[in-house]
Amino acid sequence: MSADTKIAELLTELHQLIKQTQEERSRSEHNLLNIQKTHERMQTENKTSPYYRTKLRGLYTTAKADAEAECSILRHALDKIAEIKSLLEERRIAAKMAGVYSDSDPPRKTMRRGVLMTLLQQSAMTLPLWIGKPGESPPPLCGATPANSDYVAKQGDKVAARVKAMDGDEQWILAEVVSYNHSTNKYEVDDIDEEGKERHTLSRRRIIPLPQWKANPETDPEALFSKDQLVLALYPQTTCFYRALIHTPPHRPQDDYSVLFEDTSYADGYSPPLNVAQSIRGRLQREQEEMTRRRRTKRRSGSRGGC
Amino acid sequence: TVTTGGATIMTLPALQPRLLQAQSAGSAGSSAAAAGSGAGTSDPSRPGLSQQQRASQKKAQVRAFPRAKKLEKLGVFSACKANDTCKCNGWKNPNPPTATRMDLQQQAASLSEPCRSCGHALADHVSHLENVSEDEINRLLGMVVDVENLFMSVHKEEDTDTKQVYFYLFKLLRKCILQMSQPVVEGSLGSPPFEKPNIEQGVLNFVQYKFSHLAPKERQTMFELSKMFLLCLNYWKLETPTQYRQRTQKDDGTAYKVDYTRWLCYCHVPQSNDSLPRYETTQVFGRSLLKSIFTVTRRQLLEKFRVEKDKLLPEKRTLILTHFPKFLSMLEEEIYGENSPIWEADFIMPASDGSQLGHQTVISPAAVSGSPALAKGLSTEPSHLFYLTNVTVCSGEKRKLPEALTLEDAKRIRVMGDIPMELVNEVMMTITDPAAMLGPETNLLTPNAARDETARLEERRGIIEFHVIGNSLSQKSNKKILMWLVGLQNVFSHQLPRMPKEYITRLVFDPKHKTLALIKDGRVIGGICFRMFPTQGFTEIVFCAVTSNEQVKGYGTHLMNHLKEYHIKHNILYFLTYADEYAIGYFKKQGFSKDIKVPKSRYLGYIKDYEGATLMECELNPRIPYTELSHIIKRQKEIIKKLIERKQSQIRKVYPGLTCFKEGVRQIPVESIPGIRETGWKPSNKDKGKEVKDPDVLYNMLKNLLAQIKTHPDAWPFMEPVKKSEAPDYYEIIRFPIDLKTMTERLKNRYYVTKKLFIADLQRIITNCREYNPPDSEYCKCANTLEKFFYFKLKDGGLIEK
Repeated sequence: MSADTKIAELLTELHQLIKQTQEERSRSEHNLLNIQKTHERMQTENKTSPYYRTKLRGLYTTAKADAEAECSILRHALDKIAEIKSLLEERRIAAKMAGVYSDSDPPRKTMRRGVLMTLLQQSAMTLPLWIGKPGESPPPLCGATPANSDYVAKQGDKVAARVKAMDGDEQWILAEVVSYNHSTNKYEVDDIDEEGKERHTLSRRRIIPLPQWKANPETDPEALFSKDQLVLALYPQTTCFYRALIHTPPHRPQDDYSVLFEDTSYADGYSPPLNVAQSIRGRLQREQEEMTRRRRTKRRSGSRGGC
Repeated sequence: TVTTGGATIMTLPALQPRLLQAQSAGSAGSSAAAAGSGAGTSDPSRPGLSQQQRASQKKAQVRAFPRAKKLEKLGVFSACKANDTCKCNGWKNPNPPTATRMDLQQQAASLSEPCRSCGHALADHVSHLENVSEDEINRLLGMVVDVENLFMSVHKEEDTDTKQVYFYLFKLLRKCILQMSQPVVEGSLGSPPFEKPNIEQGVLNFVQYKFSHLAPKERQTMFELSKMFLLCLNYWKLETPTQYRQRTQKDDGTAYKVDYTRWLCYCHVPQSNDSLPRYETTQVFGRSLLKSIFTVTRRQLLEKFRVEKDKLLPEKRTLILTHFPKFLSMLEEEIYGENSPIWEADFIMPASDGSQLGHQTVISPAAVSGSPALAKGLSTEPSHLFYLTNVTVCSGEKRKLPEALTLEDAKRIRVMGDIPMELVNEVMMTITDPAAMLGPETNLLTPNAARDETARLEERRGIIEFHVIGNSLSQKSNKKILMWLVGLQNVFSHQLPRMPKEYITRLVFDPKHKTLALIKDGRVIGGICFRMFPTQGFTEIVFCAVTSNEQVKGYGTHLMNHLKEYHIKHNILYFLTYADEYAIGYFKKQGFSKDIKVPKSRYLGYIKDYEGATLMECELNPRIPYTELSHIIKRQKEIIKKLIERKQSQIRKVYPGLTCFKEGVRQIPVESIPGIRETGWKPSNKDKGKEVKDPDVLYNMLKNLLAQIKTHPDAWPFMEPVKKSEAPDYYEIIRFPIDLKTMTERLKNRYYVTKKLFIADLQRIITNCREYNPPDSEYCKCANTLEKFFYFKLKDGGLIEK
């Protein structure tokens, strides 16, 4: 079955699931109303009789079952979305490989930088939110939770990669995993910025896997970086990571972090607060501290003139 | 003695003498317009005579001398020829006459009189004049008088620049007397005319342009005013470069100084010094000089007329006092306005009959020249989009359409064989059909979306704003503007770390500089600081930056497009900037080039030269609505794509591909590609006019010509392909070998469908020969003769222009 038809099927299923959710909701509406009315009646009668107790217990059991049913449909829908996304990702990787390895095709067209930035922003925005079951703690690579030490990033995963630039300076760039060699413990990664068109072979410690889920500040605040923590963050409109201090963590799931980038051109050594998405940021480790802070891809268009 | 057109003198009986007097009056301190009289060998004792009159009087006097006296006079300026070693270059009277006897007809010195300086006799100094005609002697004597006058002028002149020029002319004339030659002003001044069209033409064009709709009588009035203005200019004494610099507050008036020197040498000094060829100011200078002098001249002229109004004839008084100021103001607009058509070389005078009347007054030039405002208004209506496409397509060529061009005209001017309008409208409907839209995801951009697409959308949604702001010393700036200026200063200093912050601050807050600010959420996130030089017709871009976290969003492009539209509104059509190495790429994308078209004299001294930075220029086209341009082009592409699709569905035929290229043919005429004519393609009619239309006629002409070339005695080296055995490396050096035999074959195969192809091959024979062989080789000599021969034949046959 081709990926296209598979995606079309999944979309139909998703559509069905969303409809089911609504049905489920309408169905449980009646019960919830009942609970509310029972409470009102108890209030007016000002006593808690065993009758009401039994009745409420029954109603709440039903409501819980309803909610769980709705929840499971929603989770199911989320799974479908994840499946569609992974299919799209597979297709993207396949297309990329084909583009790289076939000689007959015309060379890949370089994307306009602005478009690349928009795409990156969008992929950051659509990073899935981690929805755990009650009591379940966020998994590795959710928000600030680091990956396990033996974790190996998959092909196509976005990572922060520490590379040597042309001028010998080291910098953290946004890259995509091509392969991992288990015998040498080295990654092959592609610079996300097609202008570079470079492939780097890097050891594990030069790679930081990026989060795969956003953490929900309302339910899993512990999975978020907290104020004044030092992190590596993708500088807006570039494909480079720089050291930054967390200024304000997000309050709601869709919020961004506000961070202060280290920048000596400002008097206090930090830039004014800038927003960065939850996804495009890695935890700063000790050995990364000596990282240079040269800005890549920062276009400084300037012109001088007389007076 | 006045050589200007008689008509003028007749129409201005009252003014004429006054003008003469103003020009002559060294004593005329009363006349503001005369602006002093530098060259004046003014003689207070004889105020009635002009310098010019005195000079000619003196010349007549000298020319009436007896021959001996003439020789003595010339001897003073003639080199001693007694022997080769004598370096004396002028006979000096051993008994110098006293000053009081200077002008008297004194006794001529004897030819045997020894020179006070070298001791040789006067005869030795004038020996070369023995057999010289009286006319030539008189000519030389004229120069002598002029040299003496110039000598006085050099002495009296106080202005250094003027003094230098007088001294130069003095030396020049002396040399000419010595060598008995004609004086020619040499050096970097160039020769007249210095600019075309000249002032006279421009002013006459102006009268036609502005007043041709008036009634004949009023038109005549304007014509008289223009003649009067031109006459005044011809006798006007220009301000010295020093005065110019003081007045205009410019550090460097190099361009003006050059013009001033030219004016002295070619116009002013020759008025009283007829040894030098004389030109009228208004005929050899053009707009640039007028630009430099107009403001001050106008003021002086009007002041002069005001002071002397009582001396004017009554009817001229009304003419001058009521119409002249207005006339000059209107002229000023055309002089300093960037778009004025009167200075175009191919200015077409609108028909001057009455029928033009209403037409011109109703339609303002701005409205018909495709101004951005108009174009934008149109783009909302689909049927007008094509008008835009027409405008932008033809914008590459120089504007030749007369100003009075209505919208209807614009629509009518369409390419022959163009697609019918109904079809275009139909296609437009399918493109603009809202149902055909892909959905609300407009921010999901395709990889080939225009660079400024996002920025344009954001501006439309009010997310970003553009404002031209600047500091002012005369009025209190509002607080918001000042905050934005501070914001701009911060953006510039963070983005341009190599610029000293103080320098940035100084320029951003300088009232002469303006900045186009990009505002998002009430904060400055970018901007372009610039300084306009309206008199010089360009703007310098000083700083240009977008804050780092807002880059790569198309803001820079959109900023520049806004700046372009702002300048079109203000009639400045050139940007100049010194771009540092990081900025060159950006400016290139914005249509800047390193090829500078603005004459150096226009910007020299106005912008600083920066080491390590590259001067770049952008020429604006007032017909292009820049902020919408990429959008318009996108729509045009869509339209064309649709039209192609339609055509393709109509003509369904697959031809086998061309094989001739594999067989070594390098180029074939487009029309010979099978099927191409069926698509409706027609050869461009660009060179159709000159091209011989009938292929057989062309064939026979070329056949004839080739036969003649082959029989030429010097054609032998080129008859056949070069043999590798004779020149082993020939085919490594010469990439495109060709010879007369191959050409004959090509002709036979009907390869030469245009004369261009034929001439190109002929020329290739010659260039190949010159490339491979040393220039003095026999082969090259043959090539030279043959080249001359066939170009002669080509001209003869009318295949190229004579």
